[in-house]
Amino acid sequence: MNEVKLTQLGIKDSRDLLNKKEISATELTNAYIQNIEESSKLNAFIEKTFDKALMQASEADKIIGTDSQKSLCGIPLGIKDLFCCKNVKTQAASDILENFIPPYESTVTQKLWNEQAIMLGKLNMDEFAMGSSNETSTYGPVINPWKSTDSHDSLTPGGSSGGSSAAVAANLCTGATGTDTGGSIRQPASFTGTVGLKPTYGRCSRWGIIAFASSFDQAGPITKNVTDSAIMLKAMSGFDPLDSTSAKIDVPDYEQELGKDIKGLRVGLAKEYSLQNGDSEASRKLEEAIKILKNMGAEIVEVSLPHTEFALPTYYVLAPAEASSNLARYDGVRYGYRAKLDTNDSILELYEKTRSEGFGTEVKRRILIGTYVLSSGYYDAYYKRAQKVRSLIKNDFDEVFKKVDIILTPTTPTSAFPLGSKGTQDPVEMYMNDIFTVPANLAGLPALSLPVGLDELGLPLGVQLIGNNWQEPLLLNTAFNLENTLAFENNPKKWWA
Amino acid sequence: MEIDTETVLKIARLSRIKINEGESADIQKDLNRIVEFVKKLGEIDIDGIDEFNFGKTNIEDMRKDSVTIYDNTDTILKNTKNKNQDFFTVPKIVE
Repeated sequence: MNEVKLTQLGIKDSRDLLNKKEISATELTNAYIQNIEESSKLNAFIEKTFDKALMQASEADKIIGTDSQKSLCGIPLGIKDLFCCKNVKTQAASDILENFIPPYESTVTQKLWNEQAIMLGKLNMDEFAMGSSNETSTYGPVINPWKSTDSHDSLTPGGSSGGSSAAVAANLCTGATGTDTGGSIRQPASFTGTVGLKPTYGRCSRWGIIAFASSFDQAGPITKNVTDSAIMLKAMSGFDPLDSTSAKIDVPDYEQELGKDIKGLRVGLAKEYSLQNGDSEASRKLEEAIKILKNMGAEIVEVSLPHTEFALPTYYVLAPAEASSNLARYDGVRYGYRAKLDTNDSILELYEKTRSEGFGTEVKRRILIGTYVLSSGYYDAYYKRAQKVRSLIKNDFDEVFKKVDIILTPTTPTSAFPLGSKGTQDPVEMYMNDIFTVPANLAGLPALSLPVGLDELGLPLGVQLIGNNWQEPLLLNTAFNLENTLAFENNPKKWWA
Repeated sequence: MEIDTETVLKIARLSRIKINEGESADIQKDLNRIVEFVKKLGEIDIDGIDEFNFGKTNIEDMRKDSVTIYDNTDTILKNTKNKNQDFFTVPKIVE
């Protein structure tokens, strides 16, 4: 089979061909390796594990068709650099973890390998997942495979899982892992025409995922289509004794849930999630999605989430507070970067110089603001208050889910923007990107971004579906129905090879 | 401005991040911008509202607090150049 076509397939289609023995896992893996080797301009893969991949592929070829075969046997995946992988360099795209080789494997990636998936390598991201454009990575930004029709500017693939989204859109892997603390799976998916799913908080174990904000962080898949998302989510999910916040709730066979009738589904449209420009392609695409759902028998219900305008300020108190605590462990003593010290420097200088030189600007900014909102005299005014507002935001969703089954919103205010165009003078300008995605993290709810088409500039646009806790089957099935009618094709012009 | 130069230095010290004189003004400006942004939270009446928690469904149970033996110190020490036998080395702490 033609290799270009082979790598366009995604997880389900590759699995089906592998099962029919029309292709081998080794053949499939080699096709991806070739694509990755040609993709250096995209800067998506920062650590390649091709030897390991080919060994896993050879193993998979022996297993396929036998009783030992598991759900992802022979499927080549990319892994966000936030996941610790045993004996594979893992840095969270930060200098402070320079040459860190984890002696253990994250639970989520272990589950993928238990299902016999193949590891192609580690994917670029914003440093410690703090960013919305991939520009805070120590490896430099990932470039979006998509380009605007009216300019040659390099565009952001979104962030923080920008390496994952770009790699999937550019056919560098069948699917990829991402993590989402304030939109880091859904926004990059929206910017690259891919499907990104942030599961319910507690669906996937956080063990071995480098922590950013522990009450928000959640792993999830970025894939070419909804079916692949369902397949990958099943493999990634489940209770883990090593993460006490992972839920002891059965993992459904999400793929089996797809294709069900959505007649009578109550879809909420929240007035607080409207796009600024009502006369744009983005608005029209959202309208089109609504129309499709209506035609399928869904009932559209106007709803209100009155505290939405407080979501971003709440997030930018709580997430930095948790980050300041989580990132306290990087002290230069046991692993990663250690600053060069002067002869008389004390242990304090070891900490302070290491952290000053090892962390990037945005990470330092968040540690400092987090330390500030937790410090004596400010804790009540900021941190405690934000925790209470977080309750109000969750209550808004609880009320709305009494009236509807699912909420439909835009994923992002705009399509992908040029690198270097946002947040250089004002950090808050970059934070505004997460305006539609952050509320689901605050409330712990599952949410999915689905591509709906292209805007005036020929760039992908996404819509977001937010569900109630553990409603991933409903999210995926609704997205699947929409996807079938929209028939979006993710085929950016291949300028990078 | 809520965060003055002294406060920047204080939170930098608490954060164990060295700030050079040249970067202090920029950091101060950015932090004040963020504080100004999150001040919006002051507009809400939070009387009688509980702090957020995930409720019962998410914290299922804690694992047993049992002793496990990890004897692979070599693997751990591979991640540093600053070691002496089985120990990490740091600047002298005790005079």
